[in-house]
Amino acid sequence: MKLTIDQRWDIIDKIAKQTVTFGEYKHTLKDAIGELTIKPLTGVPIAIAVMYAFWSIFGSFAGTLFTDGFMVKLFDGYFLPWMQDIFPGAGGWLYYIIVGDPLADNCFEAFGMLTSGLFVAIGVVLPAIFIFYLMLALLEDMGYMPRLAVLIDTVLHKIGLHGYAIVPTILSLGCNVPGVTATRILETRKQRFIMMTLLAIFIPCGAQIGIMEEVIPDTMGWVLLYLIIGYFIFGYILNKIVPGKSPEFLIDVPPYRKPMLSNLTKKVWGRIAGFFKVAIPFVLLGCGIVNVLYLAGFIDWVGNVLSPVFVLWFGVPEATAGPLIAAFLRKDLAVAQLSVIEMTPYQMISAVVLVSIYFPCVATFAMMIKEGAKELLGALAVLFAVVFLYGGLIHLIGILMGVA
Amino acid sequence: MKILLMGHPNVGKSVFFNRLTGANVTESNYPGTTVDFTKGYMKIGGEDAELIDVPGTFSLDPKDKAEEVAVAMLHENKDVKVICVIDASKIERGVYLALEILEEGYPMVIALNMWDAAVDKNIRIDINNLQRILGVTVVPTVAISGEGIKELTLRLKEAKPVEIDDIIKNTGGLT
Amino acid sequence: MEKKLSEMEYEEEGTVTDIEGTLRKKVAGMGIRVGKRLKMITKQPVKGPVVVVVDEANTSLGLDVAEKIIVEMKS
Repeated sequence: MKLTIDQRWDIIDKIAKQTVTFGEYKHTLKDAIGELTIKPLTGVPIAIAVMYAFWSIFGSFAGTLFTDGFMVKLFDGYFLPWMQDIFPGAGGWLYYIIVGDPLADNCFEAFGMLTSGLFVAIGVVLPAIFIFYLMLALLEDMGYMPRLAVLIDTVLHKIGLHGYAIVPTILSLGCNVPGVTATRILETRKQRFIMMTLLAIFIPCGAQIGIMEEVIPDTMGWVLLYLIIGYFIFGYILNKIVPGKSPEFLIDVPPYRKPMLSNLTKKVWGRIAGFFKVAIPFVLLGCGIVNVLYLAGFIDWVGNVLSPVFVLWFGVPEATAGPLIAAFLRKDLAVAQLSVIEMTPYQMISAVVLVSIYFPCVATFAMMIKEGAKELLGALAVLFAVVFLYGGLIHLIGILMGVA
Repeated sequence: MKILLMGHPNVGKSVFFNRLTGANVTESNYPGTTVDFTKGYMKIGGEDAELIDVPGTFSLDPKDKAEEVAVAMLHENKDVKVICVIDASKIERGVYLALEILEEGYPMVIALNMWDAAVDKNIRIDINNLQRILGVTVVPTVAISGEGIKELTLRLKEAKPVEIDDIIKNTGGLT
Repeated sequence: MEKKLSEMEYEEEGTVTDIEGTLRKKVAGMGIRVGKRLKMITKQPVKGPVVVVVDEANTSLGLDVAEKIIVEMKS
């Protein structure tokens, strides 16, 4: 027998009256903190402080402590010279693919599969991803995310999304793949489409952020600023042109809880394992493929053909063609490659922004196909328009500021 | 035998799941979607049972993709028992979901989870009376510490479908 | 006195008297229904969502949703 909603509540009312008694309830410290973090006057400054702390811990732990303090010394001081020494046939094509430049004194410039490839994956990206997911899991398990969603709802509404879109957005800052998966918490196809398109284009992943912090710390702020502005500009436009509804916001705000260690470790390990499975093979493969393409002269050829677009429209050197191809496999790899190309600071900003927005990496691409081929086609159409328009716009801004 | 673990998001369902199952746990995609669910095995009276951790849902009227999957998983498995996990301090909306599932004729036991938090909030629930009215086994649990989990496993065999008419009669009739 | 939920002020309490038809199903799972007492905790600025307490549980509703819920104020 099926009941109507009102009948169901009628029954529940009667059950509750006969079985439940509510005693005096004193508000605890937890409730007080719960309210402070959701009221705009106190909640917004707290949210900013939390995000700032997140960012500085990420930078100091992953970048300074792990990568600079340990991994760089290990890889540049011992591993690279050792590889260059023991691998036979310096200067040969196999040596070039596996070890890279025999004269390089650091792992960013060598660019071999087992030198730069391993260094980028393990030395730079792994610590970044680890600390990112650990802190995110903490915030999730404590129950902070729904509060952040409430606080940011107003802003995200302007781009056709709602507060909960902050979850796929932040997850994507770790890796876009689980970010795409997380779009399922949005209700309508319109919202999922906007979210997926925006994060595939504008959200740099943890791997990319980690490497930017390592190789172009001075320009990174500008790159991120351009990406954030793009996220909102194109979100606003998409909201206007994509048909469909953006339903209202309705979420449960659970009380704060003490995170459980077993749950935390399980979550972080699960995500790190996913990273190992996807990222490491792709970084090594990406390095290899790019090296082969260089040897075959393909990248120079593409650079030549596209040179008018690159130089005149985007205002970047034609040598950026190689990194752009590598970016399809791994964005972190592409940024590492860009960092050793000679160009002006503003060109570097433009080039890294282009690498970020021009195409999602192959793993994200595969996940988007799974989510819906039709959506993917739409997303690609948006993507080409965005790359062309936004890339040109950034160049124009550079010209106007007199720095391009 | 197949058992579905259902309940709202944030009621400690996955902690519950980890307590009930052993090491042999697999995570998979629901076909055609990217919504994950976890599957594991537990022993009930020497018999192997498959336990599925269904994505959290507030009601059987889905409002997003994850909830759609939860409802689809319930509807495609007719021959299952349901463990409905309810947050003891939010019992009204929990019973709402339980009623929806019972209306469709599924045999059920109810876990009143986070019992300790309800006690802290001075909420007292008359378990025996609740069992009598619903005609369903109700076990207070604290999944995080493991309290009540064993009793729940032992009493899973009591799960049986109930007539909604009987529940109405037990409450004293509709108004 | 009756008010829309969206018009309630901080800390005000009241009992739900009416919910627009199509919305009833949607908010049912959150425990919000006619006859239920609720208390307003916060309103986000610039047409942001509201947060209310129902049975000691916090729920956040968008302003469009809150406009469709009518509340009899506690006097």
